[in-house]
Amino acid sequence: MKNKILIGLSAIIMIAVLAGCGKKPQVEIDATNAAIEAAKAAEADVYLPDEFAAVQDSMNAILADIEAQEGKMFKSYGDATENLASVQALANELTSKVDGKKEEVKAEAETLMNDIETVVAENNRLVARLPRGKEGVAVIEQIKADLTNVDASVAEATTAYNSGAFMDAYNKLQAAKAKADELNAEMKEALTKARIRF
Amino acid sequence: MGKPWWHILLLSGITLLISLTVFLLFWPIPPPPVSEMKYARETLIMARRNNADIYSQDYYREALNYYDSAMSGWRDENKRFIYKRNYDKVVTYASLSSKKALLASEISLNNSANLSMKLVLDLKEIDDLIGMLNDRFYNYPLKSEIRNNISTGKMLAAEARVAFNEKKYMVADEAVRKSKHLLASSYDYADTHLRDYFKSYPQWKEWIDSTIAVSSENKEYSVIIDKFSHRFIIYLDGEKISEFKAELSENWIGDKRRRGDKKTPEGMYRIIKIIEDDSTGYHKALLLDYPNAEDTVNFRHEIRMGTLSPSSMIGEKIEIHGEGGRGADWTSGCIALRNRDIDSVFKYVGIGTPVTIVGSMYNLREALNR
Repeated sequence: MKNKILIGLSAIIMIAVLAGCGKKPQVEIDATNAAIEAAKAAEADVYLPDEFAAVQDSMNAILADIEAQEGKMFKSYGDATENLASVQALANELTSKVDGKKEEVKAEAETLMNDIETVVAENNRLVARLPRGKEGVAVIEQIKADLTNVDASVAEATTAYNSGAFMDAYNKLQAAKAKADELNAEMKEALTKARIRF
Repeated sequence: MGKPWWHILLLSGITLLISLTVFLLFWPIPPPPVSEMKYARETLIMARRNNADIYSQDYYREALNYYDSAMSGWRDENKRFIYKRNYDKVVTYASLSSKKALLASEISLNNSANLSMKLVLDLKEIDDLIGMLNDRFYNYPLKSEIRNNISTGKMLAAEARVAFNEKKYMVADEAVRKSKHLLASSYDYADTHLRDYFKSYPQWKEWIDSTIAVSSENKEYSVIIDKFSHRFIIYLDGEKISEFKAELSENWIGDKRRRGDKKTPEGMYRIIKIIEDDSTGYHKALLLDYPNAEDTVNFRHEIRMGTLSPSSMIGEKIEIHGEGGRGADWTSGCIALRNRDIDSVFKYVGIGTPVTIVGSMYNLREALNR
């Protein structure tokens, strides 16, 4: 009889232990959130937006999975913990990858800056050769105003570059380069028409 | 011998406990809203992939808020006793989230497509504006502020194009908006300026008719200089016999009001001196009787009215001279012709030949359509 009682009690204790043994992986959740925040602080959302969004989506799915486990009588956080480790690793990888991407954009911005510098120097040389304006003083004034605007745009891009906003700098430089090239072509055409060597 | 009473009590307690446990184990637990939350999450991901966070911000934000509320509600319910949990609110929020996300997705696709189309039209409009500015005002003397605005407008248009090509429609739209404003206001300013200038057309017409009539009456040569079209035209007996390209002063729009304003005067003049020697620095020259009596009266009137500074001086030495053909308006007030053209002009004109300088021989519409 005593044995029966003991078996019954053990069964109840086991059920209670099984029902309450799964512990929410809060440490892992916090660590993964911190890794995602670190990736964001490194501007992964700017330089690698798709990858960053994927990491966030995975984290949301895991949090939902954890809540689903929380609602069960017998909790199991094994998969969630494993997934949290993967997402944390992905977020960390993203943080290190973002530096590479930044360097890439930075290098592209630098190349553009050098290209623009060359075109701007040539443009300044060409504008001085225009016959007091391609078709009038007003025209040369307009070209000079355009060149000044290109300079201003390059200056803005340089400020962005120096503050570490390489993507902004790159985007601004692309437009400045397009405009500088357009002016270069315009002046060369005018000088060719006027039979002035350049 | 019967069992002791405590033994019976213990057995009853254990039986009750086991029954309760079995009852609880088989009693249905409220199902967590896993599938609803998963669907909400998937619709949110889809919405973001469709750029709803950019093109349908309000709905997307609402969808996110509903999702957060659902998650928060889910957490709260999970804190309650397992059999007392009720996920109805969570399901409602999840459903609202997915509905809003779907709506955001759809609106985003529409908005980005519409914005893309709008931008194509806007960029075309900007190109047209730049084209009109180039056609009508390329060599038109404009204030440096307006030149700068045109230039900034063109730069912004270039930035808009880069953003458009990268499908950053919101950035492109902002740049387009600023560019259009600068270019359109510059065009309006230049257009108004030009229209104001052409308000003198009736006066110019009178001068032209009178000059041609005198040429016809006296059977003599007359010259009309059309500043807007930069033409130097010789008439004989009221008929046009020759025409040359003329270059004017840097700031040629408007009548000359004072010395140093870099304007070419407008009015009816006569040649008072023919210069073929070194006293002109420009190959050959014909000196006009500028300022004539009317110019002097106008100048004095302006000084009296305070529209010109008392220290201003009236202009002088307005010539038709050579060394033109530079493809520029470069003189300080004179009219420059190519050397071979002024050589031709010398065959026709002499002391006393009438020279009428007008803004345009045609009204504004005709002048612009020529």
